[in-house]
Amino acid sequence: MGERTKIDACGAYCPGPLMELIAGLKLINIGDEIEVLSSDKGSAKDIPEWVKKVHHEMVGITQQDGYWSIVVRKAK
Amino acid sequence: MIASIAAVSDRPVQVFVSMNASLAFAKDTPADKRYQGGAFSRLLKEKNAPDALKLFQQGKELGDLKMWVCSMALDVKGWEMDHLVDGLFDGALGLTKFLSDAENGQFITM
Repeated sequence: MGERTKIDACGAYCPGPLMELIAGLKLINIGDEIEVLSSDKGSAKDIPEWVKKVHHEMVGITQQDGYWSIVVRKAK
Repeated sequence: MIASIAAVSDRPVQVFVSMNASLAFAKDTPADKRYQGGAFSRLLKEKNAPDALKLFQQGKELGDLKMWVCSMALDVKGWEMDHLVDGLFDGALGLTKFLSDAENGQFITM
């Protein structure tokens, strides 16, 4: 299993969490993961959709108390 | 926002900024005069949501987004490229060139 980096994007409006995720993905190695914390409802749907579109990998998404934890694996 | 999200989602985007729109990208336009989008524009500012310049910048940094300014708009204003905000524009183009480059894409006009 690769390394996991956490990005706290709580409080950021859409598309902030997505943009932070994309910026983060550029900095990590293939196989590594990023966990984005987002309080934005839209991003909870948008990020998995983006991951599918650009062919990275969704590891999981869980709703916590007031925010979502979205884990993505860099696939390319 | 459409342009930036598309650009970071494997959809190359070219933005052509002409006439009145070019005024919003002038360096000497104060931030509060940059957008005239009405009630929502004011609300976004109030809530500190990222503005259009920031979104275009992110689109360029993280995706495939090119921005062109209309060469005629520059001529009419008597502006050079350095009159526009730094780091956004890839150059000045005529509409003929832009339309030809964009021929096989989809157009969205605002």
